[in-house]
Amino acid sequence: MKRFSLLSLLTLLFALSATVAFAQRSVSGTVTSASDNSPLIGATILVKGTDSGTITDVDGSYSVRVTGNDAILVISYTGYESQEISVGTQATVNAQLTESATSLSEVVVTGYSAQQKKDLTGAVGVVNTDDLKQIPSSNINSQLQGRVSGVTVSGDGRPGSVAKVRIRGFASLTGENDPLYVVDGVPTTDISTLNPNDVENISILKDAGAASIYGARAANGVVLITTKKGQNKGVKVSYDMYVGTQNPSVGNLQLLNTKEYADLQWLVYKNDQLNGTIDANNDGVLDSETHPIYGSSANASPTIPAWAGDTDWFKEITRNAMIQNHDVSLSGGNDYARFYAGLNYFDQDGIVVTNFAKRYSARLNSEYKVGKGHLTFGENLTVTGRTANGVVGNGDEGSPISRVYMSQPIIPVIIETPVQGISHNFVAGEYGGTGIASRTGNTPNIYADLQRNAEDRQKDIRLLGSIYGDIKLMDGLNFRSTFGGTYINGYNTDWTGATYERAENQATSSYNENAYFGADWIWTNTLTFDKTFGLNRLLAVAGYEANEYSIGRSLTATKAGYFSTEPAFRTVTNGASITGAGSGFNTPIRLLSSFLRADYSFNNRYYLSATVRRDGASNFGEDYRYGVFPSVSAAVRVSDMIQADFLTDMKIRGGYGTMGNQRAVSAFNQYNTFGGDPGTSYYALGGSTSSSDQGFRPTFIGNPDSKWETQITTNVGFDATLMDGKLQMTFDWYKKESKDLLYPRQVDATWGGASQAYINIASMKNTGVDLQLEYRTDITNDLSLDASLTFTTYKNEITKITDNIDYFGAGGSRIGGFNRNAVGHSMSEFFGYQVLGLFQSQAEVDGAPTQDGAEAGFFRYLDATGPGPDGEIGTADDTADGVINGDDRVFFGNPNPDFTYGLNLGLTWKNIDLSTFFFGSQGNEIFNYNKWWIDFWPSFQNQKSHDLLYNSWTPSNTNTNVPKASNKSNFSNNTQSVSYYVEDGSFFRMKNIQLGYTFPTDAIGRIGLSKARIYVQGVNLFTATKYSGIDPDVNNGGDTAFGVDFGNYPLVKQFIFGLNVSF
Amino acid sequence: MKRFNIKLFILLGLVLALPFSCKNDFLDVTPNGSLDANILATKDGVNSLLIGAYGMVDGVSSQGFGWEAASSNWVYGSIRGLEANKGTDSGDQPDINPIQTYSESSTNPYLNVKWGSIYEGISRCNQALTVLKAAEERGTITTDDATSFRLQAQTLRGYYHFEAWRTWQKIPYVDETTDLTVITNNDDVTGKILADLQAGTALPNNMVQIGRFNGTVARVLYAKALMQMNHDYAKAQVELQWVVDNGTAPDGHAIGLDAKYGDIFDAANRNGKEAIYTVQYSVNDGSGGWNGGWGEVLNFPYKGNNGSPGGCCGFFQPSYDLVNSFKTANGLPLLDNSYTNDPLADDKGLTIDQPFTPDSRPVDPRLDWTVGRRSIPYLDWGPHTGQDWVRDQSYAGPYSPKKQVYKKAQAGQLTEVGNWTSGWTANGYRLIRYADVLLLLAECQIQTGDLEGARANINLIRARAANPDGFVKNDDGTNAANYQISEYPAGAPFDNKDNAMKALMMERKLELGMEGHRYFDLQRWGKVQEELNRALAFEKTKLNVLYGSATVGAEDVNFPVPQAQIDLTQGRISQNR
Repeated sequence: MKRFSLLSLLTLLFALSATVAFAQRSVSGTVTSASDNSPLIGATILVKGTDSGTITDVDGSYSVRVTGNDAILVISYTGYESQEISVGTQATVNAQLTESATSLSEVVVTGYSAQQKKDLTGAVGVVNTDDLKQIPSSNINSQLQGRVSGVTVSGDGRPGSVAKVRIRGFASLTGENDPLYVVDGVPTTDISTLNPNDVENISILKDAGAASIYGARAANGVVLITTKKGQNKGVKVSYDMYVGTQNPSVGNLQLLNTKEYADLQWLVYKNDQLNGTIDANNDGVLDSETHPIYGSSANASPTIPAWAGDTDWFKEITRNAMIQNHDVSLSGGNDYARFYAGLNYFDQDGIVVTNFAKRYSARLNSEYKVGKGHLTFGENLTVTGRTANGVVGNGDEGSPISRVYMSQPIIPVIIETPVQGISHNFVAGEYGGTGIASRTGNTPNIYADLQRNAEDRQKDIRLLGSIYGDIKLMDGLNFRSTFGGTYINGYNTDWTGATYERAENQATSSYNENAYFGADWIWTNTLTFDKTFGLNRLLAVAGYEANEYSIGRSLTATKAGYFSTEPAFRTVTNGASITGAGSGFNTPIRLLSSFLRADYSFNNRYYLSATVRRDGASNFGEDYRYGVFPSVSAAVRVSDMIQADFLTDMKIRGGYGTMGNQRAVSAFNQYNTFGGDPGTSYYALGGSTSSSDQGFRPTFIGNPDSKWETQITTNVGFDATLMDGKLQMTFDWYKKESKDLLYPRQVDATWGGASQAYINIASMKNTGVDLQLEYRTDITNDLSLDASLTFTTYKNEITKITDNIDYFGAGGSRIGGFNRNAVGHSMSEFFGYQVLGLFQSQAEVDGAPTQDGAEAGFFRYLDATGPGPDGEIGTADDTADGVINGDDRVFFGNPNPDFTYGLNLGLTWKNIDLSTFFFGSQGNEIFNYNKWWIDFWPSFQNQKSHDLLYNSWTPSNTNTNVPKASNKSNFSNNTQSVSYYVEDGSFFRMKNIQLGYTFPTDAIGRIGLSKARIYVQGVNLFTATKYSGIDPDVNNGGDTAFGVDFGNYPLVKQFIFGLNVSF
Repeated sequence: MKRFNIKLFILLGLVLALPFSCKNDFLDVTPNGSLDANILATKDGVNSLLIGAYGMVDGVSSQGFGWEAASSNWVYGSIRGLEANKGTDSGDQPDINPIQTYSESSTNPYLNVKWGSIYEGISRCNQALTVLKAAEERGTITTDDATSFRLQAQTLRGYYHFEAWRTWQKIPYVDETTDLTVITNNDDVTGKILADLQAGTALPNNMVQIGRFNGTVARVLYAKALMQMNHDYAKAQVELQWVVDNGTAPDGHAIGLDAKYGDIFDAANRNGKEAIYTVQYSVNDGSGGWNGGWGEVLNFPYKGNNGSPGGCCGFFQPSYDLVNSFKTANGLPLLDNSYTNDPLADDKGLTIDQPFTPDSRPVDPRLDWTVGRRSIPYLDWGPHTGQDWVRDQSYAGPYSPKKQVYKKAQAGQLTEVGNWTSGWTANGYRLIRYADVLLLLAECQIQTGDLEGARANINLIRARAANPDGFVKNDDGTNAANYQISEYPAGAPFDNKDNAMKALMMERKLELGMEGHRYFDLQRWGKVQEELNRALAFEKTKLNVLYGSATVGAEDVNFPVPQAQIDLTQGRISQNR
């Protein structure tokens, strides 16, 4: 019995494509690329005027039968200019094809193999790594913003901070939405130690068709990064550097000066009738107060004491900051060995004083061929050392930028006029602080804190690398084994100095040291079959993989009570009393996987690709440990079928498949555990005042029945090359449905406070389009234009959370969280009371729905009662019930953008190049939490806004949205999440403008250089936005609580000079 | 086909085989750094789970149960009972604002944290009981130990449930057999709470360790629950009389009234004669303050460490109503509430440089152990200097809390060092103290008609307060204020039950002020609306920004069930109003 096999199908197809003729003879030859003599695999050889033809094999060689001596061969290859060659009597016809203006021949790294761009069937974003380097940053994540469609990136200005990258919306409710990065075959979630200059190419696998070969870890998309290899001829040395300054001027924060702040207090007295004009309690004494700084509230105006400063805190804590980067690379080789070595030094000071991050990295890649090339082996390794003094991050009210919104201007940074304070007798030269006088708030002197912490360090060393061997078993069949992994070792020191200047002082200095190591490894073995049969080509990869990650331990110790504040004295040993000590022992996660992929193409016209992967994961119980993730995708090159002059090339693609995700689930998800620590479960049973007895509690309620999250993706798209290759276009539409999403079992409090296992319960979907356009043209012989546009949209909708809840709140602040993740809505929408306006009179209050704290000048909320807990309004059962309560909360904002886009423009004129890059985000809203601090008097005795003083409601200034300045804090002003805080966060930013000059080759050749270019650059020179905060690129909070501005560390203007030389 | 290399295929085969050779156990990874129930099913294991259950007696835990859940009830007992207001400024911890103005909603986060904390305590008791059963089945625990552990866990469970009951009244009861997936709060659970507490009365008095519940503690809790839930004063009286006659602290030491009122609150005397059960706080124990009175850490005078204690945050400021209640006439309190007329002089609105003379009219000496007020010595911290100890007098008045505050001499020894405030102390909350028991007993006596017995017990307390050695003194040894206090003579107000109750109610206010009892006392007496609206009217004349239009409604006799719990059970747990 004969089996119908793939091989027999191929044979059949091959047979169909050949034509039997008389007087035939064989012509053979090779087809190579004119640029580098490399063989072109899969080039089409057609005998003109016949149906006869073939395609080249892996060596670029072909053999075709022709009739007579008049035959003409049409040799074509997508991405190259076609050639027609008369055969005559020749038996060997070699052809060299010239690259056309398109990039279709570009090799794109895909899952466990590489393909040419023209052969792709899945949604793969290809990143131009030269473009990335235009943005001066230590990490690739930040540089990706706006550079590739389908990828949403948001970052901030902290040196060394890693931007948040999301591919096509969100795949998980757990916040585990980082893409998988695969660096030279090694999967990782952290590429911040990678030097952008070492990267050869990056491709982004966006749909199941492209990514499901990575199965279990692919649900958030996969970013494949390949680092540079040496070329096989000669030695090349390059030096690239830039140095520049970062300028913190980000515009007016609209905060008060000392005099204005005092005036505002008087306005509050007046509004609250504490200005000596009213006797509210009828005791015969007019109500007034003697303010501890400004004197009696009955006075006409406040007095300002001699010690008062007039501090612009933003100015005091920021500086023009240096940034510099130096790369030296050395690459070379011969036919048997190739190497690439790179050294990098990156040093960026933050605009906030004392803040910096430095990185030193070394890259060593090498590859060796043994014997006749049957065996290739090599290694890739990067070693990175980092040292930094970080600042408290975005989203924390302790961050220096957030503190700017809280610090009163009256407090001098450094005391000039001695003053007897409430907590300290201040002399000249000491730090000023809230200890000077009552009513100066409780914010620490930011500058003093930064100086005290100037010696804090976060240091780490990380290794990321792999070794591999590749055996050519037979023609077209290779076996490859790769072993790789990462190892990180870190050491942090953290000093908390005693203070004297505050109203609430840190009485005792304390000091913490912590150290950790972490590791992961992966072993991948693949068999690759790549063979051309006539017009048919088959590329197949089969492999298996073992992977272990989250290996690690950590150790921390804190002591308090230091005899000296000298940095050299700071050891844990030298502290007087121990306040904390502990260690962590990670439970690693292991994965065991096998996969198979086959890409078949016929005549460069029809493509079919299928993958299947089976993963086993240790963090699931035995019965649910394995998951299978298949996908299929196909493409057809329609440009071969339709005649249209404007259309150079066009391919329509489609794919469908599933991917998995298990990252949310901890290694012990299936187990019930007990544990304890002093802070949760110890108790001084014996009555000791200085020690507690060890007690335990249930810490985790497990679930052995949890299984994989599954993402089902559908992708339809096309790639088109138009206008003779001048315009290239890639379009994709996708739908990504996530089911069995893991979410912690939601239980009421009677279950106790132990953490709950993740169960498969939730679902979500994302849809969107990705569009990328690239236009290149030579305007004159000397002048060429290069323009590209990326356009990204996603629409995210949660379709289920659990059986018993259909929303969960997230985030936190002084007045609770602002984000709600609810069924029917996208992640992180803003939720609370919709402000209709301000009450204008007591009569309006009396006629309005009952609302706690309502009075003239305070918020009037929408009475939206009727909807369910999802707060949906506008439904039939909406009935205002005359009472404003929790049921009246609605969704009033969405931090997800309608779309984001990047626009890159480049002009080259002779030796001069000019390029600029814009990034924009449209339709996203920001919850400006800073307004809570500065627009409401009772939100602590802290800095306030111009709006509150000059634009707030008074009986004579009623046409405003800023509530009355009052010391009352209630439901109707500052205790709730309300729509007042929401602003349009759309922005359009010039990320880069760069002017370069390349020295003529003949001029520099005399001094031994092969290339020399200098440039000047401006970064973030302008941002168009209506947003009133410091920077609209707000990225803190995680995926369930983003879009809230807590005082973002801004991206600022940078002015850069750079140099690139090679010899 | 071209030739292929056999050796390479053999190598390939070996390489392929390697990972599969360990496949069977490669994916079996068990947790590092944690325990399972099997390991704990021994005497020591059960004891450690029981310690974990005691660990929630302070109401707080770093797993998310903070000062919102403090068992000292400074928010729910004292502020809600109008002994104190929130203090600080109006934007600080704004979730307390609606609680103190009787307008809190079911979504108020404070209520959910309090609920969660209580049920975490209950859950830990039940886990200890479950593992205890396993230990018994395995024979790794003696019957005596098992009995003691079981009774302790039951008493603790009863205590937690009672705390929930008096806060919400409509609550679910959970024991180790409860199916949590069908739980409701529709049933009357008072019987089960009483059963748990009554079981604990079988515990011996001497538990060796001061932090365990003993028979005495169980009897007081049982009596309090009988009074609060069932108004069964006769039954409660028997238990309370037993405590007065036979009770001891958990380590067996004798109990009674401390000779000097102020000594009760001295951190060094936390397990003194007066203490029947003190929540055992420990500092510098590696918990980062979580075992050191985290629940009360905000409640210290505002200002720095150099001149006033704590260093943060100015919460929990005594109310004008409480302060003026201490006014006396002929040594007796003004039971007709006339104390609100012509209030005591205070320094609100005065800077520390402006002169201030304290009121010279007679007051109960307990005032100056309960309230920090300007010019009066504040323990050993020197005189209270006024405005600089308070964050915003115009918002929350001029007074400071005092009872939980440590002495300057105790700083660093009985306080946590190296954290953002020094307000973590070993000054454990006096959950049950002897005077409370005497007053509960007196209340039962009034309710059962023994007015003379009640007068005698109340006078024991007043006599102690009248000990002139226990008055707050200036540096020169003179009394800090005009202290006048005397015992109740025979006759009025102990001539009829209603008047006697008035005296009893006032005595609890004066003796137990700022100790977290007031609101629950009013609840037991059915006086929440009447008494609090009266006090509110007075308070508004002083703090109109803070209290605004607040009014106490009929529903304010307890707190709304947290909406989150209703939602999570899809309504199985339902609202109480």
